[in-house]
Amino acid sequence: MKQVGDRKVWSVAEVTGAIARRFEDVPPLWIEGEIQDLRRRAGQVYFALADQHRIAASMNAIVFERLAPRPGDGERVHVYGRPQFWPLRGEFSVRVEIIQRMGEGALRAEIARLRERLAAEGLLDAERKHPLPRLPAAIGLVTSAAGAAREDFLRNVWQRFPRARIVAVDVPVQGDSAPPAIVAAIERLARTDVEVVVVTRGGGSLEDLMAFNSEPVARAIAASAVPVVAAVGHERDTTIADLVADVRVSTPTAAATAVVPDERQLTEHLARADRVLHESLSRKGTEHRAKLERLAATARRALIHLAARGAERRDGHVARLYGALRRASAAASTRAESRGERLDTGVRRARERGGARLERSAAMLGALSPVATVARGYAIVRDHAGAVIVSADAARTGDALRIQLRDGELPVTVREP
Amino acid sequence: MTDKDDDLTFDAALERLDAVVARMESGDVGLEEAVELFERGQRYLDYCLKRLQQVERRIEELAGADPPTENGENPF
Repeated sequence: MKQVGDRKVWSVAEVTGAIARRFEDVPPLWIEGEIQDLRRRAGQVYFALADQHRIAASMNAIVFERLAPRPGDGERVHVYGRPQFWPLRGEFSVRVEIIQRMGEGALRAEIARLRERLAAEGLLDAERKHPLPRLPAAIGLVTSAAGAAREDFLRNVWQRFPRARIVAVDVPVQGDSAPPAIVAAIERLARTDVEVVVVTRGGGSLEDLMAFNSEPVARAIAASAVPVVAAVGHERDTTIADLVADVRVSTPTAAATAVVPDERQLTEHLARADRVLHESLSRKGTEHRAKLERLAATARRALIHLAARGAERRDGHVARLYGALRRASAAASTRAESRGERLDTGVRRARERGGARLERSAAMLGALSPVATVARGYAIVRDHAGAVIVSADAARTGDALRIQLRDGELPVTVREP
Repeated sequence: MTDKDDDLTFDAALERLDAVVARMESGDVGLEEAVELFERGQRYLDYCLKRLQQVERRIEELAGADPPTENGENPF
């Protein structure tokens, strides 16, 4: 250090030396990062360890070469080493002693073990899955407020069902703080009136999605009394969260479709139901009115028919009676006529023979024909044996007699004169 | 079937409505049943429509649990 006017000036070596001294006390530690720009030079391997930031690292090439398999660019690793400052070039780097692959293979193995364990407990069983309500009173949303997943979900939910109510919890969706935050959010939402919970985040590397492959998150989803829809990552990413969720969809947009009905469709469905109810009832009414009318008409006809038949029957009896009487009297007169004719013929013959006495007798016979006589209003009285009574002396008081009239007989009893 | 309509969920109401509609559509119902079905269907329908109107577009932000404490000490 030297004084130049009113200013203190340090040499580069003084600065780098001071910084180097500061780093002397930094202990070795584990660092997680992705390997980039791996290269070998002069017995060393050099690379960068990166997440959002980057630090240089170096390692003894012989130690590195012994790793099987050796990690390469793009691979996520845990390194154990000491941060150092190299004063000659003014550079900072980590001197790596141990390097462990944290790559997808290890993660996948870890996921597979967890999956197996949960499956053995039955947490992945289809019977455990709850159906989603068709119209949830409210929808819980567990995702990062900064993520595109949230916007995708909200836009699509409201497009399908403009009145949907959302209760959102902002959580980190990657990193160590994500699992406990997601667990807490699911538990919090279960105590509200939400009827379905959506847990979502966009796509990312397997490491990015690891919160959704963590055991606490898986158990919180499985234990949730409220059905959970998981939409984590892209189509090809299946996390444990997806497997234990009641419904698994591949994108936030699909999650929106899963949790709310299409309002237009639902409204149409209800309108149709209303229409069917009214039309069916009114058709039923018409049908029954028609049926009633048919029945009434049938009944009317039946009654008229019955009445008619009653009348007919009555009339029939009368007619039959008349007919019988007519026939009887006709037969009687026919008989009488035929006899009369025969008599007439006889009379004619007699006349032809010119017998006046015979002619008179014939007239007498005609007058005496009982049928003709009765038909004229005379009666024939018979006793109980049918013998004709011609004298009052032949009957005594109390005798039962029959009087034959034109159309029948009258039973009579002889009274005291 | 007689239903307890209290505490009916939207889904249950919609399901029953659909069942009533299907029964009505079958045409195999008497007048008396048709009237009863109609009344029941209207009840479910009213309920569904009421529930549809009840939901209101909004978003509530629920603060999560306390942010998890950072594990481990500052490396330096």
